[in-house]
Amino acid sequence: MMGEKKLQLISQKVLGLSKASETEILLFVTDRGLTRFANSQIHQNVAWEDLGISVRVVIGKKIGVASTNSFSDTALRDVVKRAENLAVWQKEDPHFKGLPKVKKLPKVVHLIHEATPAKRAEAVATIIKLARQKKITASGALDSAVSEVAVANSHGLWAYHASSASDLSTILLGRDSTGFGAQLARRVDEINATDVGIKAIEKVERGKKPIMVKPGKWDVILEPQAVNEMMAFFAWLGPNARIYHEQASHFSGQLGQKVAGENITIVDDPLDEAGFPMPFDFEGHPKTRLAIIKNGTLTNLVYDSYHAGKHEAKNTGHALPAPNTGGPMPLHLKIEPGKLTMEEMIKKVKKGLLVTRFWYVRVLNPKTLAITGMTRDGTFLIRNGKIVGGVKNLRFNQSIPEALKNVAEISRDAVPLSSFELELGTNQMPALHIKNWNFTSGTEF
Amino acid sequence: MKKVAQEILGKLPKVDYADIRIVEKESQNIATKDGVVEALESSTSLGYGIRVLNNGAWGFAASHDFSKQGVEKTAKRAVEIAAASAKYKYEDVSLASQKPIRTTYKTPIKEDPFAVPLEEKIELLLAADKAQRVDPQIAISQTSFSAHREKKTFAATNGSLIEQEIIWTGAGIEASSVSNNDFQNRSYPNSFGGQFATRGYEMVRELDLVGNAPRIGEETVQLLTAPLCPSGEYDIILDSNQLALQIHESCGHATELDRVLGYEASYAGTSFLTPEKLGKFKYGSKGVNLTADATIPGGLGTFGYDDEGVPAQKTYLVKNGLFVDYMTSRETATHLRKIVPGYKKASNSTMRATGWQYIPLIRMTNVNLESGDWKLDDLIQDTKRGILMSTNRSWSIDDRRLNFQFGTEIGWEIKNGKKGRMLKNPTYQGMTPKFWNSCDAICSQDEWIVWGTPNCGKGQPSQIMYTGHGASPARFRKIKTGVVKW
Repeated sequence: MMGEKKLQLISQKVLGLSKASETEILLFVTDRGLTRFANSQIHQNVAWEDLGISVRVVIGKKIGVASTNSFSDTALRDVVKRAENLAVWQKEDPHFKGLPKVKKLPKVVHLIHEATPAKRAEAVATIIKLARQKKITASGALDSAVSEVAVANSHGLWAYHASSASDLSTILLGRDSTGFGAQLARRVDEINATDVGIKAIEKVERGKKPIMVKPGKWDVILEPQAVNEMMAFFAWLGPNARIYHEQASHFSGQLGQKVAGENITIVDDPLDEAGFPMPFDFEGHPKTRLAIIKNGTLTNLVYDSYHAGKHEAKNTGHALPAPNTGGPMPLHLKIEPGKLTMEEMIKKVKKGLLVTRFWYVRVLNPKTLAITGMTRDGTFLIRNGKIVGGVKNLRFNQSIPEALKNVAEISRDAVPLSSFELELGTNQMPALHIKNWNFTSGTEF
Repeated sequence: MKKVAQEILGKLPKVDYADIRIVEKESQNIATKDGVVEALESSTSLGYGIRVLNNGAWGFAASHDFSKQGVEKTAKRAVEIAAASAKYKYEDVSLASQKPIRTTYKTPIKEDPFAVPLEEKIELLLAADKAQRVDPQIAISQTSFSAHREKKTFAATNGSLIEQEIIWTGAGIEASSVSNNDFQNRSYPNSFGGQFATRGYEMVRELDLVGNAPRIGEETVQLLTAPLCPSGEYDIILDSNQLALQIHESCGHATELDRVLGYEASYAGTSFLTPEKLGKFKYGSKGVNLTADATIPGGLGTFGYDDEGVPAQKTYLVKNGLFVDYMTSRETATHLRKIVPGYKKASNSTMRATGWQYIPLIRMTNVNLESGDWKLDDLIQDTKRGILMSTNRSWSIDDRRLNFQFGTEIGWEIKNGKKGRMLKNPTYQGMTPKFWNSCDAICSQDEWIVWGTPNCGKGQPSQIMYTGHGASPARFRKIKTGVVKW
């Protein structure tokens, strides 16, 4: 931890060095450790501390970005000079309307909790012990991070946030089945390794002697992890203003129209303390709760300052670090919950598959938001409301908007899950019962 | 940096083994979109990572802080982490022996990509961006350039002291067209950023981005009205840029010994190529020869020494269709010797880390399909009912590297030995060993290209590595195509 005061002094020093018409400083400090286990013992155990400064300078409408990982005076002078040199050779960007101005930032709790290597090893050892008792091979990782992020610009903007996160996940390997369990928390002592281990063991045991089922259209119960893996692609290619206006999004031209089932409300909720709150984006613009889809209707796109300026829209606070050629993205997605528990949802399925998680999901076509991927680490057959056994993994080819039109039930409880490791944001996802999920082939395990 | 590395190593208490890597990275990125330079970025990073093996367990700590206190803190942390690991160990780690090496290596390049004036690079990209716009239906035109320099100093308690400077460059263009619910892409010379190589700016000049841009623009528009790739069983010919990714996913990852031994089970998965198959399993047809070769000039996975100080080398993974070896490290090679009687090899030099913050993992170097003796024209003439597919668009494979599905940007129908109409949305699906056993023709060295894949993800925390894949077009019989319709 470097602290807000020190980072503010560094940013002021850098702003003083810049001769550009506008300057933005993005600072980060991180201290992270990750204990990884395989074959039922710790095999990789690492820690690192890093810091970074990224300087965006604007000369007229010409922009240059430079970064480094040192706060020494020499490094700070060099990074400003490099950014300015780039901007000089840059071409004018007619769509650039200026860096964000000062806005009041919402308050969130700065919760800091450091995890020691010993604490991480202890949690991991709990899972290994549980697995060994059942003659199951344990693998997984416990990732913990303390990070600070700050943004300053030449309009007087200053934004600072500090946070911590711990993410435990395990994949347990039985003779012919595997099981997944995970928990994400803001403090390492909130992680319940026993609970994570038991849930994964249950999946291994339940999945023994998996049978092969025929690919085709299936009713599926997607557990929160699987929903999160699907929704990562929705976040990237769905409400992204850039892609929308390029006409490359499935939703292009559909603002205000029905794009999902009546029961679907999707919000970006960066201030929810039940998740991992973040008060501002990577340009220092305040974040707020934003309904992207409300009762099936596309109500809002997400914007950063550049795309808001270009398309004369309101900046919604969804900038990623500059330079960003991918466009703005929501990083705190939530699907509004339903009324049933996941177990109650399973009871309502006559014939279907319970999917723990997906693997290697990739976009087939951004225009239809069609994705492909495999199931992994716990896929089960449901008959007459009961889980009757494991099935071998399947490949799916599925359009996300089609899936969101076919949601029969949404679980009552949502689970916090990383959107991109521990680096950018955190979603909160429920389980979904989706009809007509399209499986196209199977594999050997 | 040699002196600094040795000083840091000297600060460690007595341990069984330790190494240190000081890594200084520098990169420059330029990206244009629709005639605007959207990204113009220069970044640098400097730090060190200390890897300690003590009492049979690993510890690793890394930092940007080279101050006396910073180094002492990081060294202490690495030792403490090794102790925390050792407390719960069930088996000791042991390393294959490695002779001490004291040397230097530098990527041979003709023209330093950082030294070429920025203005010249921007002008080239903007010209290529503009030249793609041959039709109003082109919605997006993009170009990109990147240059990377990585200076690494490696010192180990076995006496090794190695300095390397790896330089790599990338460039490419991409046009996209949109119509109703259709979205089509064409890239040159490859998708996801173009071509990447451990070469200098001479590679960018050879690509002729501007000269190829109008064709890319025309093809993306033609794709909008092209018929869909048919569903069924067809003989497919994969262009070398698509074959490169097929090799990466179904051969490269499957032969990484850390995956096979379960080290990556918690994330990237394992492999169907389990140790009892070594030397016995018919991975592909007789003509299939696959190598991991870190010595190919210009290959993106080319270097002098890996991040354990083992010299770059060439290893056959599949010879005449038979699975014969893995990509290994000092630790996993020792592990394999215990499982496979008669396996006596040491590491074959595949351990690399993405930066100073990360531990080295087994990473593909240049994993290649050796050339055959066909000419592409002859191969097409020899195909009665087939599809030629080029340039990857989507890729997905299961966590043991068996069930895969690929999509390409473009395809062409082959009917009675003639390349015919253009096909859109080509996809194919298969199971790895069956697929490689259906390979019956590979084109010659004249059409063999080492493609760079700069975005290979692996490990926790995730590391993105640059790898290479040499390939020439090859034919695969009776493959399931058109598996997805949109």
